[in-house]
Amino acid sequence: MAALETADLLIPLEVYLAAGIHIGTHVKTNDMRPFIYRVRPDGLYVLDVRKTDDRIRVASKFISRFKGDKIFSASARQYGFKPVEKFSSIIGGRSLTGRFIPGTFTNPKLPNYAEPDLLIVTDPRADWQAIVEAAEVGIPVIGFCDTDNRSQLIDLVIPINNKGRKSLALAYWLLSRQILRERGELPPTAELPASIEDFESKVLVAEEEYGGYDLEG
Amino acid sequence: MALPVCVSCKEPILPEQKGVKLPCPSCGEVVFWRCRKCRDLVNGYKCPKCGFQGP
Repeated sequence: MAALETADLLIPLEVYLAAGIHIGTHVKTNDMRPFIYRVRPDGLYVLDVRKTDDRIRVASKFISRFKGDKIFSASARQYGFKPVEKFSSIIGGRSLTGRFIPGTFTNPKLPNYAEPDLLIVTDPRADWQAIVEAAEVGIPVIGFCDTDNRSQLIDLVIPINNKGRKSLALAYWLLSRQILRERGELPPTAELPASIEDFESKVLVAEEEYGGYDLEG
Repeated sequence: MALPVCVSCKEPILPEQKGVKLPCPSCGEVVFWRCRKCRDLVNGYKCPKCGFQGP
């Protein structure tokens, strides 16, 4: 039965669960209600892996219809920097990591001005400026949403744990593999030359995370 | 000239309303529009061809 259940998933269910892609938060929004599988006794909401898998398939089909250099992926989250940069280099897109400079999509006078056709965001709350500017210029947005995110101004939700290091690495690895398969650049059963570990960020220690301030003092 | 119609609310989208045009994420055969208001309110959409429901 377990074999039958995992047969139609992109990767074995155990890999999904090991990366913690299904782990949500203690907060549930109405927008994410269709993607929530259950609530654990400790109050943590759990995402439906089957729906995540399905959405990654749909998103890869959708992304493969756009030209590579017009696909922008943004991450204001530190754990998303490396996955986004790796993903962009594989699919031939552009990455926007760290602070999103306001006007990047709307102000032609800026040196970093760009005209994308599609935006992929790692966390809709952190990447809100990019989403608003994408709405101003009228381009579709794909968002990795956790149980506590709203899907406002997002056209395609991919429900994953967007706070986890391994979870983000797995999601971007899977998405890039599927996009290459959809484009025909990778045979349907072939694997990516890059492994999931290549997409993973390093573990952040508190000192680095808070700009070197002494947290104990 | 016919105005594009929002796939969710079926209202015409005026040029200043800043809607978005996208092919169906699943089948890609149908191109539809979503108005700013429906995107803001997270109103769902359904592809008339394949039945895919978003966002």
